[in-house]
Amino acid sequence: MIELLNVKKIYGDRTVLDIPKLSFFEGEAVALAGMNGSGKTTLLRIMANVLKPDSGSVTAPDNILYLPQKPYAFRGSVIENILIGAKAQKEKAQELLFKAGLSALSDKPAKSLSGGEWQKAALCRILIRPCKLLLLDEPTAALDAKGTELVSGILKEYKENTGCTLIFSTHSPSLALSAADRLILLRDGKTEADGKIRKDVDKPETEWENLFL
Amino acid sequence: MESFKQAFDLLFSLDKELLQILGVTMRMSFFSTSISCLIGLPIGALIGTRRFRGKSFLKKIIHTWMGLPPVVAGLMVYSLFTHYGPFGKLNLLFTVTVMVIAQCVLITPLVIGLTSSFVESTSRPIIETARGLGLRSPRIVRLCLSEGRMSLLSVVLNAFGRSIAEVGAVSIVGGNIQWKTRVMTTAIMLETNKGKFSFALALGIVLLIIAFIVNAAASWIVKEKSDD
Ligand SMILES: Nc1ncnc2c1ncn2[C@@H]1O[C@H](COP(=O)(O)OP(=O)(O)OP(=O)(O)O)[C@@H](O)[C@H]1O
Ligand SMILES: [Mg+2]
Repeated sequence: MIELLNVKKIYGDRTVLDIPKLSFFEGEAVALAGMNGSGKTTLLRIMANVLKPDSGSVTAPDNILYLPQKPYAFRGSVIENILIGAKAQKEKAQELLFKAGLSALSDKPAKSLSGGEWQKAALCRILIRPCKLLLLDEPTAALDAKGTELVSGILKEYKENTGCTLIFSTHSPSLALSAADRLILLRDGKTEADGKIRKDVDKPETEWENLFL
Repeated sequence: MESFKQAFDLLFSLDKELLQILGVTMRMSFFSTSISCLIGLPIGALIGTRRFRGKSFLKKIIHTWMGLPPVVAGLMVYSLFTHYGPFGKLNLLFTVTVMVIAQCVLITPLVIGLTSSFVESTSRPIIETARGLGLRSPRIVRLCLSEGRMSLLSVVLNAFGRSIAEVGAVSIVGGNIQWKTRVMTTAIMLETNKGKFSFALALGIVLLIIAFIVNAAASWIVKEKSDD
């Protein structure tokens, strides 16, 4: 279980994140939504322990993976990037690349990929490692509808295999709908809404889009 | 044109004094650059990656120090090593060693300043990504070094360029002694003062050629490695 208590982040005289209490349960899949600048990245960074909050406490498991909003492409090929510091074998990397539709790019320099191609490759680089808590910052921001669907499938499969908790931010209602079972809406650094996504009710897409706006 | 011809004649005649002056110049620049980088690169990296109180004040001090006029640095070092100064007993005044010390005073802040601003701008996303992948610190440091080697090389070359071109500090503490502490820049000064402009210019051209060769060699070495 992950728990945040009285977490605040202040830049200058602006409080960009103010969370009195927020808990996540093991195995949950949570989507973070909210406008640009609402604090999604800040919240994920704090949970990933790459940013210190100005006050409050965060309880989180040790084994965390975190994909930044703009993941860095290291020197070298795509497959070298994926295997960097990973215990996995080359075959596993190739299998992942195949699932992401990137087989043809595995030996290309990572820095030469298009925005969308690199976003999928960076996700492969994360998903080749096991973890307890997976934090993804807008993992499909650069992807088309098909790519988003593909990623949603890959995420669900990873979650089933590892039993990890998944928290991701997104502006895409369809990703939230298909990959998450809980939605948290941030506004000005505060949680404005927090609830289960009920897939059985089958709300019309437009209603989801209203929630996101 | 006359000077160009003279420069090449000088270089290829392998004039004994010129070679000796070149030797002192290279020795001095090599040691000042190495020592400033050994001190400045890690400190710059530390300042660039850490957040602490007084950081912006420290940066202002470093930037001011970066603009320190070479003659002032020369005078400071001179007063430390002069016969009655605190280090007078070491008898280092008018040696290559004290020239290296004076140059380190000048160049180390340059290395610290350039490294810290490079690390700050480039290493942040690398560190965030690498930590997100669960990598450990030694590997993250290696990644930052390898990703930033072009920028780090330019820091080193900047330091070398400043050191080889510097005249104010080395003439004060070195004294421009023939066969001992005379370097290219102080020789150029001397010839200019003697009115031998074209010879001075020829020396200047030799200096330029040397600087170009060092730059080309260094970037070639780094390029080689990065194309693996
Ligand atoms: N280093 C920083 N210095 C100052 N302000 C910052 C810094 N980082 C973030 N902020 C501010 O904090 C607020 C929240 O930023 P954050 O990146 O968390 O937003 P976000 O919800 O991820 O937005 P987006 O959808 O655009 O990615 C923004 O207004 C941003 O300008
Ligand atoms: Mg963001």
